[in-house]
Amino acid sequence: MTNQTPAKKTKAKGPVRWEAVIPFTIVVLLTVLYVHFFFDGHLRRALEWGLGAGLGAQVDVADLKTSFTSAHLSVKGIDLTDSEQPSRNSLSVGEIRFGMSWDALLRAKILVNEAVVDKIEFGKPRGRPGWVKPPEPPKADDGSPSMAEKLKQEALEKVQQKYDQNVFGDLAAILGGGSAQVQLDKIDQSLNSKKMAQALEAQVKAKQQEWNERLKALPKASEFQALGDRMKAVKTKDFKSPQELQQSLQQLDAIFKEADAKVKSLQQAGQDLDGDVKKIDAEVKALEAQIKADVKSLEAHFKIPQIDAKALVMALFRKQIDKYMGKVQTYKALADKYVPPNLLKKGTDKPDPSMQPRPRAQGVSYEFGRPNSYPLFWVKRTAVSSQAGASAYAGNIQGEILDITSNQVLINKPTIANIAGDFPGMGISGFSTKLTVDNRQEASLVELLAAVKSYAIDGRDLISGGDVNIAFAKATGGVGVKATLKALKELDLSFDNRFQNIDYQIAAKSELVDTLLKSIFKSIPVVTVDGRFSGTFPRINTSLNSNLGPELQKGLEREVNAKIAEARLKIEKYVQDEVGKYKAQIDAEVAKIKQQVSGELKKVQEQADAQKKQAEARADQAKKDAENSAKKSVEKEATKAAEELKKRLGL
Amino acid sequence: MTLLMKQIFAFFRLLNSDTGHNQLAAGLACGIILGFSPFLSLQTFIVIFLLFFFRIQIGAAFLSAFFFKFIAWLADPIADTLGRQVLESPPMRPLFVELYNMPLVPMTRFNNSIVMGSMIFGFLLAVPAFFLFRSLILKYRVTVVSRFEQTRFWKAWKATKIYGWYSTYEKLYL
Repeated sequence: MTNQTPAKKTKAKGPVRWEAVIPFTIVVLLTVLYVHFFFDGHLRRALEWGLGAGLGAQVDVADLKTSFTSAHLSVKGIDLTDSEQPSRNSLSVGEIRFGMSWDALLRAKILVNEAVVDKIEFGKPRGRPGWVKPPEPPKADDGSPSMAEKLKQEALEKVQQKYDQNVFGDLAAILGGGSAQVQLDKIDQSLNSKKMAQALEAQVKAKQQEWNERLKALPKASEFQALGDRMKAVKTKDFKSPQELQQSLQQLDAIFKEADAKVKSLQQAGQDLDGDVKKIDAEVKALEAQIKADVKSLEAHFKIPQIDAKALVMALFRKQIDKYMGKVQTYKALADKYVPPNLLKKGTDKPDPSMQPRPRAQGVSYEFGRPNSYPLFWVKRTAVSSQAGASAYAGNIQGEILDITSNQVLINKPTIANIAGDFPGMGISGFSTKLTVDNRQEASLVELLAAVKSYAIDGRDLISGGDVNIAFAKATGGVGVKATLKALKELDLSFDNRFQNIDYQIAAKSELVDTLLKSIFKSIPVVTVDGRFSGTFPRINTSLNSNLGPELQKGLEREVNAKIAEARLKIEKYVQDEVGKYKAQIDAEVAKIKQQVSGELKKVQEQADAQKKQAEARADQAKKDAENSAKKSVEKEATKAAEELKKRLGL
Repeated sequence: MTLLMKQIFAFFRLLNSDTGHNQLAAGLACGIILGFSPFLSLQTFIVIFLLFFFRIQIGAAFLSAFFFKFIAWLADPIADTLGRQVLESPPMRPLFVELYNMPLVPMTRFNNSIVMGSMIFGFLLAVPAFFLFRSLILKYRVTVVSRFEQTRFWKAWKATKIYGWYSTYEKLYL
């Protein structure tokens, strides 16, 4: 009997994996625990990292709270580091909080009925300097800088190229006077026109030598005289036979040909002389142009300024313009990088709200909207409020931003921001702004209308670090800005600034300039600056006007014009002294060549022509004489024949 | 990772056993859907849920998903074209508008051309693939496994102590 144990019957397993319930429950529990304890912290760090990478400067978030059940988010203490002053925040926001609609979230959309932005501060000092992204290195492929850097650089270069000279420094130098002649005397680089004149003089001398040689080789008057003598010896009458006539004609023809060749060589020499004279004339003209260019170049070298109201205004406000244009270009580059492509330009003239293609890195995502449906993202209203007093950098702000959305066509509303208030701690009052972003048409349109009734200025340098320093020690400013930006490309921004209660701070090395500038500025109690930036990015044209320009022009012109004229005269005299002697020599030598060569040629030419005519006359005479003698001989023969005939006939 | 490796070993063990061909075929078919779907999408979560709660071979699904993810990546341009044609088709517009505004459905990300194209490929391939994989598994067991078990090498290997230890371990723990 075998002691075999019966095979263990395994229960057939059903289609449902019941044993997975416990692991699944554990996973769900762990997820809930993670969301409860760690999710907010991780989201806060992700937000700091993402915003920091996007804006290129450290972003700090003090606290972040989410609520899954009410789909609520609260972010507190947002500090955005100022990339130009890392020890300060460009913007600090006390709190942003909003709740999302679960109905929309279930449809994979974000709908916020009301968001709140509270306690806004500008320029608040940071506890420690924030991290700022270093400038992007040139790309490995072509070595060119990044697009943002390129745009910024191009805008700055454009302004600097046009108004790079420190007009006030140059004016001060001119008013100081006396230095130009000293520098002219010390100038070590030789003038281009001087070099050119020296070369031309050598060239003319060489030409003269060449012509002397050539004149020697040209046929002389005596040669033509000899030809004439040879011609006289040729028999031109009383030919005894036709052979004799033929021989004389051949001799005359040979002499004639010889004379003709000599005349041709003389004519060629005359033409060559004309060509050389023309060439030298052209080079003399080029020398004159070079002299003018040298005068201009020396004027630039000694920075002889143009007293132009526009140039003066640009010189005064260039620093401020550079700063703001640089910022505009940076934000434009950021917008180009992060704004979705469909916000820049859509495909059709009349967008169809039922379908909006949204190109992505991979494939195309379509929004299938319908009236009253949710767009992908929509914040209906954002209330912006802030109360001054908590810190010197906080302000009284009230405002709202309406309809921030991913699909304006669907809701048929533009995004409008209306914010007004003042920052008493910073001396800013009557601040108001209305921003409209309309993406419902083919090209997006951004309109901005902003104004600050009054803001305090404490120490703003206009011109510094040279012979002249001009600054507003204290002033009260007011500004209005109107801007439109079409398709995030075409900008038209105009602004008007008004500065009053100005305490000027003027200092110049030269006492004369110092007194002059102080007296001019004293008579300008209110300064207005109007400007306009217009064009297509990155080529933005800048225009600035200010009442300072004409006032300064008037004041400076009297004193400076005389000095400028004096400096110009000195330069012109210097050039003339340096180059004039060479030019005079060249002119004299050219005249000498002309006179000598053309006189000689003329004389020989005349003689050659006379001999030629004489040869032709003699040849004609020989021919005529031959004809006459032939005629006589024929007549004689005829008479003789007639007499013989008469004799035969017995007449 | 250990769990995943365990599932993959289980796939090979099951493949060479006499049972579970339906589980294996279903797992491989589900892998096709996973491979052709984006990771963060509703359909991926539904398939993973099905893998957990129904007796579908998870190792087979993951291996298949890994393989078909690569195929799907290669087929992206075709999927994009197909997806665009379907999504831009005017007769389908009302349906898509309705689906897009329904709860949960937009989480499938069907409104993306590549997702839509890949989803069509994935679902169309999954059903015939189930039957194909099923018959291939059965054929494999008859032709490859049984012949291999008759080889001297396998018999010698089975006689070794290492195999004995592995068998004991398999009985106890696997």
